[in-house]
Amino acid sequence: MDQWNDELNRLFASYKVAVPDPETGANFMPELWRKIEGRRNILLRVKKLTQMFLAAAAAISIVFVTMLSVPAFSPSDNSGSYVEVLADAYPTEGLASHGILPREGVEANTK
Amino acid sequence: MLVDFEQIQKAKAGDDAAFNQVVVAYRKRILGTIARLIGRPEDVEDVAQEVFLRLYYSLDQLRTPEVFEPWLYRLTVNASYDYLRKQRRRNESRMSDLSEQQVIMADAAAGGKISGEERRQKQVKELVESLLGAVSEQDRILLTLKEVEGLSLKELEKIYSVNENALKVRLFRARQRVLNAFEAKKATATKSVGRKD
Repeated sequence: MDQWNDELNRLFASYKVAVPDPETGANFMPELWRKIEGRRNILLRVKKLTQMFLAAAAAISIVFVTMLSVPAFSPSDNSGSYVEVLADAYPTEGLASHGILPREGVEANTK
Repeated sequence: MLVDFEQIQKAKAGDDAAFNQVVVAYRKRILGTIARLIGRPEDVEDVAQEVFLRLYYSLDQLRTPEVFEPWLYRLTVNASYDYLRKQRRRNESRMSDLSEQQVIMADAAAGGKISGEERRQKQVKELVESLLGAVSEQDRILLTLKEVEGLSLKELEKIYSVNENALKVRLFRARQRVLNAFEAKKATATKSVGRKD
């Protein structure tokens, strides 16, 4: 076994000589910086998309919250009480034809 | 250390010129380690660029400049490991691209052009790579770092973040597997020589 171990050690030592440190090509650094820039652009794009998505989600949330918190009503409901709305719908002049007299008229007749 | 701590601090702070100097200082050593880890000269630069790319984007996580070298080696190990795993998946299809006849002819053509010493080195390279190819990627990388690159157990401890005893066990087992492959190869070679006689 020791013989195999020694032989393997020699083989590993020869391997380092057989595969020396290679020289870098002329394009190594430019290519590296191109890759760094490429990755940086992707990261920036992802960041921008994430920000846009978050902004849109926040805006939608605000719209929903507003819609739920404000009670639904129409402007005509706000014009007066029930009696006033009725009075507007049936003007007193139109009631005489139905035999209904205005309050002042009735009081004058009874006097 | 091939660069001073100040340089690493500057690179860590986002100084591209300092980072460039760090790469220039370490690229040859890293290329050599990768060449011996992966055994494919044509892909060494790509893997080295991946290492420095990962370094650029993870340098801000480096706690102190003192641990820079183990950190760089860890990135080298991880990138080489990723490469070897992908390569293993690709291997079958690549082998089927060439017929056995073509492989023999290519070997013969290459063998005719090189000198005796180069031929011996080529044989050593092929033998070691076939032995390391017979074990897992983890074993291959660990053994190469220890036996070929000559890293100490202390250095390996920092790279792998495991204690010395665990490393010794892993190294012993990895070495045993390579020894078994070596013995099997020798036995096969002896048999084939005996048959020829």
